[in-house]
Amino acid sequence: MKTLGTFLIASAALMAQGGLNPARLGAPPTDTWPTYNGDYSGRRYSTLSKINQSNINSLTLAWVYRANGAPGGGGGFGGRISATPVEVNGVLYFTMPDHAWAVDARTGREVWHYAWTSHGGDHIGNRGAGVYGNWLYFETPDCNLVSLNLKDGKERWHKPICDLDQYYFGSMAPLVVKNHIITGVSGDDLDRPGYIESHDPETGDLQWRWYTVPQKMGDAGSESWPSEEAMKHGGGMTWLTPTYDPELNMIYVPTGNPQPVIAGKARPGANLFTASVVALNPDTGKMQWYFQSSPHDTHDWDATQTPVLFDGEINGQKRKLVAQASRNGYFFVLDRATGKNLASAEYVKINWSKGVDAKGSPIPNPAKEPQLDGALVSPNQGGGTNWPPPTYDPDTGLFYVSASRAFSVYYIYDPSDKPEGWGGNDRGGWGETMIQAIDYKTGKVKWSHKWEDGGRSGLLSTAGKLLFAGDGSGNLVALDPANGNPLWHANLGSSVTNGPITYELDGTQYLVVAAGDTLFGFAMLR
Amino acid sequence: MRYGIFVAALLVAPAVGVAQPPAGASEALEKVCGACHSVETVTGQRRTRAEWQESINAMVARGAEGTDAEFALILDYLTTQYGPTAAPAAPAAGRGGRGPAFSPGPADKQVVDEAAANRGRKVYAAECITCHGTHARGSERGADLVRSEIVLHDRYGSTLGPFLKKGHPTQTTPAAQLTGAQIVDLSHTIHQEVYNTLRAALQIQNVVTGDPQAGAAYFNGAGKCSTCHSAAGDMAHIASRMDAPELQQRFLFPGGRGGGRGRGGAATAAKPVMVTVTPASSAAIAGSAITGTLVHIDDFNVALRDGAGEYHSFKRTPALKVVKSDPAQAHHELLDQYTDRNIHDIVAYLETMK
Repeated sequence: MKTLGTFLIASAALMAQGGLNPARLGAPPTDTWPTYNGDYSGRRYSTLSKINQSNINSLTLAWVYRANGAPGGGGGFGGRISATPVEVNGVLYFTMPDHAWAVDARTGREVWHYAWTSHGGDHIGNRGAGVYGNWLYFETPDCNLVSLNLKDGKERWHKPICDLDQYYFGSMAPLVVKNHIITGVSGDDLDRPGYIESHDPETGDLQWRWYTVPQKMGDAGSESWPSEEAMKHGGGMTWLTPTYDPELNMIYVPTGNPQPVIAGKARPGANLFTASVVALNPDTGKMQWYFQSSPHDTHDWDATQTPVLFDGEINGQKRKLVAQASRNGYFFVLDRATGKNLASAEYVKINWSKGVDAKGSPIPNPAKEPQLDGALVSPNQGGGTNWPPPTYDPDTGLFYVSASRAFSVYYIYDPSDKPEGWGGNDRGGWGETMIQAIDYKTGKVKWSHKWEDGGRSGLLSTAGKLLFAGDGSGNLVALDPANGNPLWHANLGSSVTNGPITYELDGTQYLVVAAGDTLFGFAMLR
Repeated sequence: MRYGIFVAALLVAPAVGVAQPPAGASEALEKVCGACHSVETVTGQRRTRAEWQESINAMVARGAEGTDAEFALILDYLTTQYGPTAAPAAPAAGRGGRGPAFSPGPADKQVVDEAAANRGRKVYAAECITCHGTHARGSERGADLVRSEIVLHDRYGSTLGPFLKKGHPTQTTPAAQLTGAQIVDLSHTIHQEVYNTLRAALQIQNVVTGDPQAGAAYFNGAGKCSTCHSAAGDMAHIASRMDAPELQQRFLFPGGRGGGRGRGGAATAAKPVMVTVTPASSAAIAGSAITGTLVHIDDFNVALRDGAGEYHSFKRTPALKVVKSDPAQAHHELLDQYTDRNIHDIVAYLETMK
């Protein structure tokens, strides 16, 4: 309680400065979208309903901001905005690799743009920024955590969070929990251990680091590895922003696939704590519990999909839940206080598992591990889903995910006893994509809306009885969350590349979404 | 191999009369590839057609979305504009020195000089191989050098040199006797092993492991392949037209996507998806069904090109009847039915059709 009191006083001081009051991070977002998922729960559900089923056809394009070639933007960044913007005090903050922007949330006008001089790293994408008080934090591909002043985008400091020479890179949107800036690392090319860190918001100094794989024999989880050598090179990258339960004081960290990625011959065992959902104490980095989504993964199926927190009723009992639609095609529901598995079910048809064990984790079929002459596997390496954020709508009790039913052939290229790096890969194939609406109580798919032309975007649900998604043809689509019927669409010329967000300012509800290098602001202007 | 190509790209002058990019190709690249990563991740590379196909296959496997036509355009574009003899990519501001596709690593990473690496291999064979192994991945006697932080931090001997000069317990040649030039060569050799460990250095080994007779039985029986194909007809000499790995991918996933297009694109192009649209009876062009090649379809619109080459576009309404016909539908449905044994038997059978 004393801690909480101190925290509230600190919060009030921060708010007085005109920055973000950290207490807002725990509340449903309305006039703000202050963190990657809108709030700590990862639900991406908004209580706003000014935009709703009855007036959706009046939704209007209010503004467009093109990050590529924008005034002062330098031009020629290429690529796309995969960041979910955060919105604080009427300003949107978003990132692309090496870049951060502040844009007026009412008009789309640029407030500032910051460019980082890169020393390399994989520029595959950047998921966004975290905000604490008057400061913004984002990761760069060349392994730095950068802190900028919210007001003018001036750099305060930068701190290394990983070693570029070991082929790590930064892409995660940092999570702000109390006085912790939580950062993750990316990289699947050489066999390195994954970890997650907490940094001091003022100085950037390291507060703690938790490795996703055990560091020596005898440590928890080491029984699932053949040797110290294997586990210290065992992967488990922390690509995605965790979620947080302030009451339980646990962050829910989704971990990446084990390494070597495809050729797993030299790492027999379950390979804990890769491809798992892990609950950590955010003050100490100590593990509270874990649940493994993919024991001994050999298909690049990380479990870095958002662990979504909500309260529900299962078998007549009220429970604090965490649910994940995992890349391997399984949907899991766990008790988020204990990690106990309550449901495991396929949300797309798969062919690699022999069912689930007593703990609810899938049992991989060895015949569907990558083979020298190839094994036909579904889902493919892209997975049943991937990083694009899902949403949980408490009004329908349904969990929505952009899903893919796809096949490919997994090969071992390196037949040696100690393959390293990418000693195999998959090729192919054929697939179709859809939105799956999952009943969390049973894990059953209640409805499915198949896209005609591919498509895999982040999702948003609202109290206006709307589910926003992107199809493969560049349409932003509002669906009826009860049955998946499309209600409205607007073609953006390029497929949606992030998770849509919504907020209300001066009585107007906005909907903001990225497609390619462009941010689109829709609003109910009437 | 990759580094050979990379070095060649730096040394060979751009070919005279560089091929013009195919129309719409850079847009397709932006749409399909740019949806997940920056396009410059791709265009910083120099690769052969086969290598670009491999990259595209890998990306399709990772979820890249596009039409067959778009993937074909992208392949042509990358081959003509970013082939091994194309001018080196201008490094983007603050970057440069890009390595293998999708594994950029640090901007200042060592560029392997193949000749030096070959010289260094002799030093390696004499001094290191007994304990550190043929591919520097270590043994019970010596550390894994590919995973060594000393190696990963090294640039042209910068950390390797001081380390070896100090000498380590099992070093056979006294450190002082290794020349500076030998250490640089050794650095190239070991870095080459590191880069070969990164993505896409190796390829499919052998897919011809099945029983051709069982494959023939499946082809003519349960697989119903003989409904549309025959050994003497369209399949004749199929195994001469593409290699076995391509063959395996091709019948599983017809259409070229991920299946490759065979040697020199000699394989037959996939048949397009057709669509028949029937407007409501009250519409201006009432009742008359229009059939053509599907150009575009989503939940809201459908477009086709008819037999005369005319383009037609429709708003989709409950009254508009749309019937798609995918000639590869039977192949898609088989994906749920094949066993891996069936697949390898079919490959073995197709391999008899030289």
